[in-house]
Amino acid sequence: MLDIGIGFSLEDNSFLAAEEAIKQAKNQLNNSEKIDLCLVFNSYDFSAAGAIRGFNALLRDVPIIGASGPAIISDKGIFKHGIAVMLLGFPDGAYCRVAATRDISEKNPFNCGKELAEKLLLGFKNIPRNLGLLFFDQQIEGGPNFIAGLQDNLGRGFPCIGTSLSNQYDPSHSCLYLNNEAINNSCAGILWGGKTTFGVGIKHGWKPLGKPHTVSSAVGNIINAIDGKPAIEIYENYLGYDAAKLTKDLRKLSISYPIGVFIPGEKEYLLRSVVSIEQRGALVCQGSILEGSTIRLMISTPETCLAATTQAIAEAKKNLSGSLFKQGIVRNSRFAIVFSSISRYNLLRRDIKKELNLIKAGLKDTRFLGIYTSGELAPITAGSYRGQIYFHNQDFSVLIIEG
Amino acid sequence: MFEVNTVLAFIGLLVVIALTFLLLSKDSKMNSLQAAVDNLQRALDEMDEQAKLVVRTDIELNKAQEELDRKITSLYTLQKLSRTISSTLEENQIFKKVELSYLADLGFQKALAFLFDEKENKFSLRLSLGYEEEEAAKIKTFIDAHKETYNGLIHNEKAVSSIASRENPADTKSTKETFGVVSFVFAPILAKEGNPGLLFVGAEKTDTIITEGDEELITILANQIGQALENARLFEKTWQAHQDLENRVEERTRELSRALEEVKKLSQRKNDFVSNVSHELRTPLTSIKGYASILLSGKLGVLPEEVGKRLAKINKHSDELVSFVNDLLDLSRIESGKVELKLAPLNLKSIVDEVADLLAVQFKEKQIEFSSESPADLPEVMADYSQIKRTFINLINNSVKYTPQGKIKVSLTRLDKEVQVDVSDTGCGMPESAMDKLFTEFYRVDSVMNQEIKGTGLGLAMVKNIVTAHKGKIWVKSKVGSGTTFSFTLPQAY
Repeated sequence: MLDIGIGFSLEDNSFLAAEEAIKQAKNQLNNSEKIDLCLVFNSYDFSAAGAIRGFNALLRDVPIIGASGPAIISDKGIFKHGIAVMLLGFPDGAYCRVAATRDISEKNPFNCGKELAEKLLLGFKNIPRNLGLLFFDQQIEGGPNFIAGLQDNLGRGFPCIGTSLSNQYDPSHSCLYLNNEAINNSCAGILWGGKTTFGVGIKHGWKPLGKPHTVSSAVGNIINAIDGKPAIEIYENYLGYDAAKLTKDLRKLSISYPIGVFIPGEKEYLLRSVVSIEQRGALVCQGSILEGSTIRLMISTPETCLAATTQAIAEAKKNLSGSLFKQGIVRNSRFAIVFSSISRYNLLRRDIKKELNLIKAGLKDTRFLGIYTSGELAPITAGSYRGQIYFHNQDFSVLIIEG
Repeated sequence: MFEVNTVLAFIGLLVVIALTFLLLSKDSKMNSLQAAVDNLQRALDEMDEQAKLVVRTDIELNKAQEELDRKITSLYTLQKLSRTISSTLEENQIFKKVELSYLADLGFQKALAFLFDEKENKFSLRLSLGYEEEEAAKIKTFIDAHKETYNGLIHNEKAVSSIASRENPADTKSTKETFGVVSFVFAPILAKEGNPGLLFVGAEKTDTIITEGDEELITILANQIGQALENARLFEKTWQAHQDLENRVEERTRELSRALEEVKKLSQRKNDFVSNVSHELRTPLTSIKGYASILLSGKLGVLPEEVGKRLAKINKHSDELVSFVNDLLDLSRIESGKVELKLAPLNLKSIVDEVADLLAVQFKEKQIEFSSESPADLPEVMADYSQIKRTFINLINNSVKYTPQGKIKVSLTRLDKEVQVDVSDTGCGMPESAMDKLFTEFYRVDSVMNQEIKGTGLGLAMVKNIVTAHKGKIWVKSKVGSGTTFSFTLPQAY
């Protein structure tokens, strides 16, 4: 049976904060001597070095993985300043391994994915592997290739979910935790295996608007042309703004009106928010987009956004009971990890507490911890998973683990 | 053969007719489908146009909602901040209460506050948020170099900001560069008391749009700071005044203590003098009285009648003088604490009865009706018998003196921890002006009657000293023509 302890601290001193959070979490464990994993989330303004000293003092050899982000989600509230830890003790027959691949911006994404998979697989002989959980500290060029490299070693269609936590305003402040190190320009991952059951749900709540368009020219995450015209025209036409105004405001506007990519066979569109506008009206998106894709302008309201949160949790719970990552384990205790896009935070503004209330209501007695992200990694619809993992923008995703 | 060809030709004709018909039908269907496609395309285009309207309306609604949210958040933050600031009465603490988290909730990342010292003609930095120490120092140097401009902003008494359409006395571009922000608001900190100042807030995010609402909010915040500064300065002034007052009271108390010490010394000297003089007087008086007694007794021969009368007067006046000197001595002893009170539980009622017996002749002579009143459960008092008896004798005697004919009554009343004695008479009474000095040594009420009644002015002073030495209180109530009541208290024995 999973042993779960969650601790939280708002202390300014990161060393003391880490200590306080770990002590709180340890106190909740049935057996504080057997800790198999420590998951850490903290706000960008925390000093990682101080936190690591705190971990070293109290956790010694416990594997640690985590990331910094714009805000932390916990049952106590949403905090722009704080640190949260989740300590886990696994039941017999359940395993996990943490590893990272570094300097990802300088390497071939496919090879990076393969490298991470190789590191994660060490020690996994004869143990069935179930799910990969990945953390990126920045937006990765060639994300699909990274996943392809990862799946090349872990298995074609191997399920993975994850998140990108790049700090758009000050990248030097974002970091990942791996054991007793704070790392940058990396991807850190956990490979879960053995007797644990998973349920994943992901939804965004944006609806298509207007007629479909075709991406007539795109490279990576840059859309050059839509319907044979400069890509920026899609926003000029719908929003009624000129290029100068869009250059200034599109990053913010695209949170509300992202581009939705139609994926054949999927009910939901894959969202792409626009980061900037390049010369000749090309749109730089958060996440790649394929040439020839059918796209729509997307729109949402706080209500549809919040409804998506409830739907994602319902989907994760449904999956947990069987269809996606079925392991046939008798239900024991469970916990959840939630990732919500910072765009949702910005869109919901004062209604953000409503999202937290929905998470609490949806997960009920399931203990959870989460973080706001700048991108999510998951299948489009977890319920109809066909091995394809996508980088998402503006989604709410939840992973429920039971064991 | 002909028939076969005819049949075939007919069939061929039929096929051609059928195909023509089919072709015509398909063409019509194609036309109809094309029309449907055209309709669909038109509907799609119309829908797209509607979508544009929806998006544009949504943008406007979002903008309004966002502005509303910002205003609500800002107002809420401003309210919290105002409450925190206004609860501070120390000038330096006021600026420390403005924290980065409040600033972030107002939509800004940087803030500076300067106060302008008009005497020294320079700005002082009082608040720096979002800046390194060096950066803030650099900006202060810049402000000092452009003193007139920034002082002008204070005296304009209006906020200025980076809103493009507004006139800005401080150059917007150089302000943005110097302060390292994309947008900003300056608001004057105005206070009636003390130095005015300038509050600067800035945003470094490019998507922050400064509105008139921001100007108003920052103006309110600057006003709150100004008000808090004014309060702090007034409080400081009041506190200073209070301190001055306390110092003066302390100084005056010291002076009074010194004066009191001086008075005590003088009083002691007076007592010593009175004591010495009294002793010196008693010796010759004793001789005078002795000789007068011998002469009066006739042992040295029979005296002529007139000489006997004069000697009797010498003897009587000698007795009065001895009594006076004794009183003086007693007063002096009690005042200087030289008399040790022999405290014991006493029954006041029996003392009153004893004194009444003692003075019975005088009551009779002046046709005075004496009475006393006492509750059955009157507790005993802790007092010196001889001194208390003397007190009663003095007070009742006093009443007898000033009551030509009438009543004297002694009432004993049980209080919480004391017993109250009231000696009242139906005598001539005295004016209110006399009451304050009544217990002062040698004081005698200035009245026609008093000129005829003999007295030293020491009796009541002695009574007061005795009562005070017993930790009791004494007071008097009187009305001319209606009589007088002397009251005093003594502590209960148990």
